[in-house]
Amino acid sequence: MSDEWTLWLTFILIGLLATTLPRASFIVLGERASLPEVLLKALRYAPAAALAAIVVPDLVLVGGAVDVFNPKLGGAIAAVLATQVSRNPWLPFAAGMAALWVLR
Amino acid sequence: MSPSFRAGAREGFRLCLPVSVGIIPWALVTGLAMVGAGFTVVQAMGMSLIVFGATAQLGTLPLIVAGAPLWLIVATALVVNLRFVIFSAALARPLSGGTLAQRWLCGYALTDGVFATTLEHLRSEPDPQRRLGFYLAPSLWCALIWQTSTLVGVLAAGSIPRNWSLEFMASIALLVLLVPMSKVRPMLLAMIAGGALAVLLRGMPLRLGVMVAILGGIAAGFAAEHWQARGASR
Repeated sequence: MSDEWTLWLTFILIGLLATTLPRASFIVLGERASLPEVLLKALRYAPAAALAAIVVPDLVLVGGAVDVFNPKLGGAIAAVLATQVSRNPWLPFAAGMAALWVLR
Repeated sequence: MSPSFRAGAREGFRLCLPVSVGIIPWALVTGLAMVGAGFTVVQAMGMSLIVFGATAQLGTLPLIVAGAPLWLIVATALVVNLRFVIFSAALARPLSGGTLAQRWLCGYALTDGVFATTLEHLRSEPDPQRRLGFYLAPSLWCALIWQTSTLVGVLAAGSIPRNWSLEFMASIALLVLLVPMSKVRPMLLAMIAGGALAVLLRGMPLRLGVMVAILGGIAAGFAAEHWQARGASR
């Protein structure tokens, strides 16, 4: 973990620039501002692309090398399957963690 | 507070009650994951109050732990949150009756659940004060539920052994968010491109591969939508 102050600076910058600013943007600016249609369309793909870019490496890499037979990927598959069989919000977490522990 | 603000507040609160219950597991998991990443109770609650966004928090944890450069961490969080720019644009007209301070508060408290639940009604409600109450009351209520549940997660995490790998709950949480998005074909392609590029480009310095992968994923989704529309019009 980096030092204490860097961490707090990180929180503040994420909070201001990456969370509050996009949320408040148009609500605060009001109807004076608008975004081009093309940009709005492209922006719709940003969360999906970003979440996948963050989570996939964590699931398929073991010690920096691709290894698809690892407990994390097993846990991930179990969690995704759980979302398909029930709408219970706890089930994916229970199934994913249980698979991780069993396969380890 | 005008009577119509209060009437709107009651109505919005009632409508969003199920949503506010639905965020409890997320908040607990986010609390557990922050402690799993090595944060103290104060650091975890500090992040929760300042950032107040599960996706941005969970998404940046692996980058913070890996010691990625600050600008990359902030940029990644921003990309994950770009959807809020679209939500904010949709809310600009309904919430235009608020003071500047109220509108900043509306922005800080903007969440996916309340946005999705209240937007239709906000569009059709003619009274500006009533709209403000209708949006703000459930938003602040959800923020309260979120912070309390996060605190419970953070405090509970201390009594759970480290070898239980609780940080994996962050990955599960992000996956659960991806599942409904994957039902739309171009969105699925954006995910596959983003995920595959991130793995392929993992050797890039400063973890820059993550950013390139995100841009590649956006481009893939956008291109897929374009081709789909062309195929349909033929």
